Amino acid sequence: MGRTTSKDAQALIHSLRSAYSATPTSLKIVDLYVGFAVFAAIIQVVYMAIVGSFPFNSFLSGVLSCVGTAVLAVCLRIQVNKENKEFKDLAPERAFADFVLCNLVLHLVIMNFLG
Amino acid sequence: MGRNNFSILTILSITLLPILSLSFSTDSPTDRRLLVLLDDLSLKSSHSIFFNSLKSRGFDLDFKLADDPKLALQRYGQYLYDGLILFSPSIERFGGALDLAAVLDFVDSGHDLIIAADSSSSDLIKSLATECGVDFDEDPSALVIDHKSYAIAETEGEGDHTLIAADDFIESDVLLGKKKIEAPVLFKGIAHSLNAANTLVLKVLSASPLAYSANPSSKLSSPPSLTGSSISLVSVVQARNNARIMITGSLDMFSNRFFRSSVQKAGSPRKYDKSGNEQFVTELSKWVFHVRGHLKAVNLRHNKAGETDEPAMYRIKDDLDFSVEIYEWSGKSWEPYVANDVQVQLYMMSPYVLKTLSNDKKGLYHTSFKVPDVYGVFQFKVEYHRLGYTSLSLSKQIPVRPFRHNEYERFITAAFPYYGASFTMMAGFFIFSFVYLYHK
Repeated sequence: MGRTTSKDAQALIHSLRSAYSATPTSLKIVDLYVGFAVFAAIIQVVYMAIVGSFPFNSFLSGVLSCVGTAVLAVCLRIQVNKENKEFKDLAPERAFADFVLCNLVLHLVIMNFLG
Repeated sequence: MGRNNFSILTILSITLLPILSLSFSTDSPTDRRLLVLLDDLSLKSSHSIFFNSLKSRGFDLDFKLADDPKLALQRYGQYLYDGLILFSPSIERFGGALDLAAVLDFVDSGHDLIIAADSSSSDLIKSLATECGVDFDEDPSALVIDHKSYAIAETEGEGDHTLIAADDFIESDVLLGKKKIEAPVLFKGIAHSLNAANTLVLKVLSASPLAYSANPSSKLSSPPSLTGSSISLVSVVQARNNARIMITGSLDMFSNRFFRSSVQKAGSPRKYDKSGNEQFVTELSKWVFHVRGHLKAVNLRHNKAGETDEPAMYRIKDDLDFSVEIYEWSGKSWEPYVANDVQVQLYMMSPYVLKTLSNDKKGLYHTSFKVPDVYGVFQFKVEYHRLGYTSLSLSKQIPVRPFRHNEYERFITAAFPYYGASFTMMAGFFIFSFVYLYHK
């Protein structure tokens, strides 16, 4: 039974990897960016658990800047994905412009809340 | 001629006025002028030791019959007396302008009162006592009877069981003086009990657990309503305005006969040459007329640590110094009051800080503490209520403000990772945009 499961898992990972290698490079860059933001958010939560929640506004703005960045990047990924038929009428340039505008607003709010 | 006389009188009264007003200087809390109301002027001689001791201590006594038609406590809105002694137990109606309400108004305006009742007590005296928080036995023929702690008479072998030799005093140096009262106090009169709803009334001399209140000349048909140590022989009240009242069910307690009488308590081998009445009554009258146990608090001060001026407002987490001076009236002068239980509160609906003040034995009480991390309108409060002492209730309002926006810390070390993460995200966004736009 256990052997079957590990074999299944291996097969699953293998198929995932081969499917992912077919993904366009631009989407892979977005994935890397999202992974980085989530990683930074987790590190801050761990740090807060150790040090305590004293400058709570700073903690919130630090974590939310990471989470916000990740969310906006995921949104961008959804919109520029060619296989997603839902946004087939939306130009990728328009999607990127939205992404930049949202990031500017996000970081403006973060800067105000950080101090 | 008549006109001339009148002008001389006017000049005289104007020149005398400052001297007259000196006699009731507000700095001395001790009473000066006492009105003594009697049923019968013979009490003046039968209770002369008590009256003479008051006179020798500087009181001005004004003796009047209780039904004197010219009786008045105040004239033109000013009270003529500082204290009232009611030695008129049988009076049904006071003369003149005096009535129950007038006596209560007199107490309500901070004046002192001694009520002595006995077996002939009228409803007026009993209802006055009820207003003060004690209830006399309603049976008019009842006396305090005690088959154990009565005084053995000198001549008759058995003695009179209504002549009580009481020695169950309240333990308070302020009320009864520092010197312990050795001899029992002779008491012959009616019983009263304290009204449970009144928290200001105190039993100073209570009956023994075996005492009861009944008619001594008839057989007991039903259990007596007042028994044991719930019977109070002498009670005092200190009202919230520091007016003091003494209530006793025995007028004879103050008499020369009881003052001079020797006393031997039944069952006790020790015989005292002199009863404890004189010492007890003298010491308690000192308390009632504010010779003892009167405190005053002055110079309530507070300032930020390291400064001397009193600020109009504090900021949260400020360090502050608080001080107040408390003096006790010794009968002649204000002496420093020394105690280790005076506390100050920083109060806003409930005390946020409660600190015991340390004193320098010269009357100055001081402490320093930190304002809590809460802003709002606070009060410094000193609430000092101790048995026998006048109560001190001081309060001073002081607002506490939060930090100004530029009084917060700007860069907090603990928050550096958060700052770092935020700026990294901004830099990351910038780099990502380049990489995303220019990759092949």
